[in-house]
Amino acid sequence: MRILIVEDTQPIVTAVRSMLESRKFAVDVAGDGETGLDYLLRGTYDAAIVDIGLPRRDGFDVALRVRAAGIQTPILMLTARDAVEDRVRGLDVGADDYLVKPFAEQELIARLNALLRRAPYPISSVLEAGLLRIDLLARSARFDGVDIVLGTTEFRVLELLVRNANIAFSRSDLLERIWDYDFDGSPNIVDVYISQLRRKLKEAGAHDIIATVWGVGYKLIA
Amino acid sequence: MIVRLTGAYLAIFSVVLFALSIGAYALVATEYHSLLLPALSTPEGQATYALELHRLILIIIGLDVPLLVVVGLASAILAHISIRPLMLAREQERSFVADAAHELRSPLATIATVAQAARNGVTDAQLRDSLDLIARTALDAGALIGDLLTLAREPNRALLAPEPIDLAVIAHRCASEFEARAREAGIVLTVETQPAIVDGDERRLREVVRNLLDNALRHARSRIALTCSATESSACLSVVDDGAGISPQERAHIFERFVANRKTGGSGLGLSIARWVAQAHGGTLTVEGRTTNGAAFELAIPLFVD
Repeated sequence: MRILIVEDTQPIVTAVRSMLESRKFAVDVAGDGETGLDYLLRGTYDAAIVDIGLPRRDGFDVALRVRAAGIQTPILMLTARDAVEDRVRGLDVGADDYLVKPFAEQELIARLNALLRRAPYPISSVLEAGLLRIDLLARSARFDGVDIVLGTTEFRVLELLVRNANIAFSRSDLLERIWDYDFDGSPNIVDVYISQLRRKLKEAGAHDIIATVWGVGYKLIA
Repeated sequence: MIVRLTGAYLAIFSVVLFALSIGAYALVATEYHSLLLPALSTPEGQATYALELHRLILIIIGLDVPLLVVVGLASAILAHISIRPLMLAREQERSFVADAAHELRSPLATIATVAQAARNGVTDAQLRDSLDLIARTALDAGALIGDLLTLAREPNRALLAPEPIDLAVIAHRCASEFEARAREAGIVLTVETQPAIVDGDERRLREVVRNLLDNALRHARSRIALTCSATESSACLSVVDDGAGISPQERAHIFERFVANRKTGGSGLGLSIARWVAQAHGGTLTVEGRTTNGAAFELAIPLFVD
């Protein structure tokens, strides 16, 4: 596994490099945003650890340009800021996860492994079901050209339904796949999200495309 | 904010204008009536009087409408002028908090990362322990900075990332994180939940439940009960321990910063943060008044409304 570290604080670079190399990762380093972007655009890394405060080009911009170029390398953002706005911005520009500095070594490795385990995105990042179109990289959804603003979990529910259009999912299927509930979680949460999704889809002009399958659950009609 | 303030100014002015208009109409109508009393005895006189009153209403409306438009514009300008400094101050505060977090955490990040990496290659146990201590202290200080910066801001929903989430799930997940620690301490941790969907910030709510469980574990003798339930409008999560209890004097200050019982090893911010998060969700965190038989903390936040 080849990991790129884009970080300008030399002692952190040296330390993170040794943490990763001791676990048999191959590591490359870029000391500024511009160089980091150049390396990432080659598309040869399994994952990248990108600091936000970088010289020449900040981490947000690096992630944004990498995603705009269609590169799907998982990006773990490192940030010394943990305000909601900064976290949301990081995820909005295409980062897959973030870690607040200072961080524990085990957490860095656990999050990196989680990103590496995640199934790679398909070659095309766009999924379509009828007039509904969702972009997995940009995390955006549109119906007949009208944008639909979705929260993170709403997007994941819609993605699952679009990937499996016309297939019915039970509430417990959805609970397991989206929420990863390892105990008897409430199916009500599924109804809440389906209701929110239906409302937002309706506002965009998509009426009744999520159908209730009596005795089973829900399906997306394409 | 500007729109709301403009609306408020305009509403106040409209009420005043409406009252003045009614007053003017009543005054003029009374004056006309006494002046024209002799003419009002004839049908023609009554018809003319009614026509004049209609004209009067139209004149008043004709004057009021443009006046309301002018005042509306003036209200918008006034609202903009009065709100702008507040908005600037809020933005400066936000950017100060973000900058302060960055400046304080960056050197700690270097210390923690270098110490953790260095310990990996060290065989000397004493040196390893020292490096562990350096790393742990830097990580704790980083967490403390986050907590202090959170508490420096007023609890506000805008500082959360909410979405519908079942508080019962958070309770179970947090309980499972604490199971091993409870077992080691010989404490029985029981969890009893019913679904309670809230519009909440999962990361922050986990922080609350972790802080309450951490607090309970440091005080309990043999038992902790974590429950989650829903009333008509609120989700309630309670953590009850069978420790020494909290005296009324302690209870009055327990949510204040750095007041928590230091003897039991807390940072002194956990309960303050927990209450901050409860308030930011529009809810409350309260402690039950037991003095000799443990403590009962209860978090109550509004249920999700579609």
